[in-house]
Amino acid sequence: MAKRIGTESIRQLYISENEQQSLNTLMETPHYQKAAWLTLILVLTFVVGWEWYWRSQNHALSYNDDESLWASKRKQIYQSSPARLVMIGSSRIKFDLDLPTWERVTGEKPIQLSLPGTSPRPILTDLGNDPNFKGTLLIDVTEGLFFSPTGSFPEKEAIKRVKTYPNWSLSQQISFQINRVLEDNFLFLDDLNLALNPLLNLFPVPPRPGVWGGPQFPREFDSNDPDRQAKMTDAFVADTALQNRVKGVWLEIGAHSPKKAIAGPPLAAILNETKKSVDQIRARGGQVFFIRTPSDGPYFESEKQMFPRALYWDRLLAHTQSPGIHFEDYPTLTRYRCPEWSHLSPSDAIPFTEGLVPIVEQKMGWSLRRQPAAMPAETGSFSR
Amino acid sequence: MVFNSYTFIVFLGLILLLHNLPFSWRVKKINLLLASYLFYALWNPPFILLLWLSTVVDFYMARLISLEQRPLRRKLLLTVSLVLNLGMLSYFKYGGFLLENFTALLSAVGIVFQAAKPDIILPVGISFYTFVTLSYTLDVYRRRFTPEPSLLNFALFVTFFPHLVAGPIVRPEDLIPQFKTPRRATAEQLSWGLFLLSLGLFMKVTIADGLLADTADLIFGLPFPVQTLDAWTGVLAFSGQIFCDFAGYSTCAIGVSLCLGFVLPDNFRYPYAAIGFSDFWRRWHITLSTWLRDYLYIPLGGNRHGAVRMFANLMITMLLGGLWHGASWTFVIWGALHGLFLCLERLWRDWSANRRVRVAELAMDAPLVNRASVIPPLSFPNPFTKFGLALLTLFLVNITWVFFRAPTFDGAMLLLLSMFGIIPNGAAMLTNLAILTVGLVTVVLITCHWLMRNSSLLNLSKRLPWWVLSLGWAGMLILVILTQKSSGSFIYFQF
Repeated sequence: MAKRIGTESIRQLYISENEQQSLNTLMETPHYQKAAWLTLILVLTFVVGWEWYWRSQNHALSYNDDESLWASKRKQIYQSSPARLVMIGSSRIKFDLDLPTWERVTGEKPIQLSLPGTSPRPILTDLGNDPNFKGTLLIDVTEGLFFSPTGSFPEKEAIKRVKTYPNWSLSQQISFQINRVLEDNFLFLDDLNLALNPLLNLFPVPPRPGVWGGPQFPREFDSNDPDRQAKMTDAFVADTALQNRVKGVWLEIGAHSPKKAIAGPPLAAILNETKKSVDQIRARGGQVFFIRTPSDGPYFESEKQMFPRALYWDRLLAHTQSPGIHFEDYPTLTRYRCPEWSHLSPSDAIPFTEGLVPIVEQKMGWSLRRQPAAMPAETGSFSR
Repeated sequence: MVFNSYTFIVFLGLILLLHNLPFSWRVKKINLLLASYLFYALWNPPFILLLWLSTVVDFYMARLISLEQRPLRRKLLLTVSLVLNLGMLSYFKYGGFLLENFTALLSAVGIVFQAAKPDIILPVGISFYTFVTLSYTLDVYRRRFTPEPSLLNFALFVTFFPHLVAGPIVRPEDLIPQFKTPRRATAEQLSWGLFLLSLGLFMKVTIADGLLADTADLIFGLPFPVQTLDAWTGVLAFSGQIFCDFAGYSTCAIGVSLCLGFVLPDNFRYPYAAIGFSDFWRRWHITLSTWLRDYLYIPLGGNRHGAVRMFANLMITMLLGGLWHGASWTFVIWGALHGLFLCLERLWRDWSANRRVRVAELAMDAPLVNRASVIPPLSFPNPFTKFGLALLTLFLVNITWVFFRAPTFDGAMLLLLSMFGIIPNGAAMLTNLAILTVGLVTVVLITCHWLMRNSSLLNLSKRLPWWVLSLGWAGMLILVILTQKSSGSFIYFQF
């Protein structure tokens, strides 16, 4: 039998109290069980009450757009095709391209990898370096983010997400599946709006002079679905005061962003880096094209001023020898207004997407739309 | 798998169910072992091979060592075990670091050498389970522990999932005897175990990840100087984060073990109320500090060969302790600073003791009133002095945390210069809310540590009415649910 031999270690002095107390004293204190039951009741009461409160406030169900949700989409990119696009970009394509509409028109649902507030370049590099990615890639260009300098915040944030994917463990994947079931049923599991930190941000603490705490969007701004589709909530679309708050956020971001756009050798480096990744994907048989989704009002004016189309968008397409769709070039894409200058409302995202499909077909020479004649046959085959 | 994940909640539920079904003790232990392998494999399945290798080699080496009487052969067998364990640790943890420094050294003497950067992934918890198996082999070699005849018990000792990846670093006598007889938690133990698990999750999820991590990450990630207030807030945020993260893990581990009827050793005892660095190391990561003392400091000679050797041994122990945390010079500096502070404290204590003796000798010849006024302040500092010394210790500990957290030496120096206002016109980066949050958490943390420094949570819980305990417990769980940050890795997994 194993036993300790030799002198008593000094270490015993540190741990003996706990070891002895843990087992012996617990027997003498019978109230933990009662405390445990009361705790369970209190916690369950809180959960039910908290959920009820947010439901009574008509809070929109929103899924956490976290690393795991992104990784679950990243995992799907190997089944990509022209109809089943992989999309990278910033927030605009997440709002503007309506995934159910695209699926209805083409029969396939695109894979949404865009990350709000980030540059898509790190994801493009990642896909370029992935020897197994041979699919179709649509890159959404918001100039201020796409052409953000190397090492800037929008780039770093995207790099963080890219780096987490290879380390997405089995344990995290199981947790993600469990979380999905919970998120399907509980509104309050909205990390972006209802977690502790966003709630703390509601405290009326005066701002510190000279310090900007980052953008504070109203919680009604958007919701996120399990396919990473972003949508403005009904409350937001109906309320111009909320829309004006978001316009204010864009102005704040503008005030804290570089006043001059990137140019010269750093811009050339970005273009070269982009071309390298595009060429890598094409060399494997993949296809890449770009899109510039709508923006509006003073936001669009300032974008045009800082990033003149000829110097950035046109140069990007020419340098990478890629096709591109700029919303200004197509009347079917220009007739929409962005309620807060930067994104389409859900009701406009549907016709925008319907209008986009034939443009993509024409530009890329693809046939994306489901053949109307084939649909009854398919239905027939299912019915048998 | 991490404790703060939905996967773990399901896993723990299944384990508790299996552990309480009417199986034989052997079957229950096999269940626990398989569960522990699953717990580990859900990170990176191939690394389980390393765990098996370490387990099998140390089990058989220890048996051979105990059977062998010839000193040279015993040493040889011990060397095989040490080479295997430390070799694996060195390759996976220090391979890149050694190559980088070798390249730099060659470059310094004018030899251009470009080595391909090794793409080595650090197996989670390797530093911890290596120390666990080493302590077993060394104890058997030193005839302080008879080798365990059951491979099942030994494998479970090494792999038992609560301590496997981030401690506490268990010794053979801590755990192996507990596997000898059937164990099942009573309802009270289960309740207390769940309380500790809740407390650990609260420390990790709400305080470390929810309230402090963003501020620490922001300040330590900046490449430019910041205002003194921002610098100190960032360092205090990390100070709280590292404690709540690591002590949170240990508390979860102890709680989960207790739910199954096993007791793990304490790993933290209110370290931010420590008075002096020797006191700090009696309270911080206790199982590592005692490991280093028993298997490194004392074998090096400890304080048995004069003052110079003792200081050298202290420095070696703390430098290696620093390096244990990570393959970077910043960790070495962190260890060196702790070693230096321990040496200074020792010098001060010696000087103080000598002075007391001298004063006492003088006082014996002096009038009674004179004796009463001279001796007590030196020997028995009042509570305010004690608290002041604790704050001084914490201040110095925070200085060392800068090197522990900063990604580079230059980054650490930049932050230190900002902390002491040596670089003027640093940037203001933190919001008032972030500063208030960190300040509040720091004050609460120090207060709790100070009030609890001579007590324990168990004693406190016994004094409290059960419903008060329940309110605190429910409050913690509600805040964990509200924080919603799940699956964030523990800082010490990288060590």
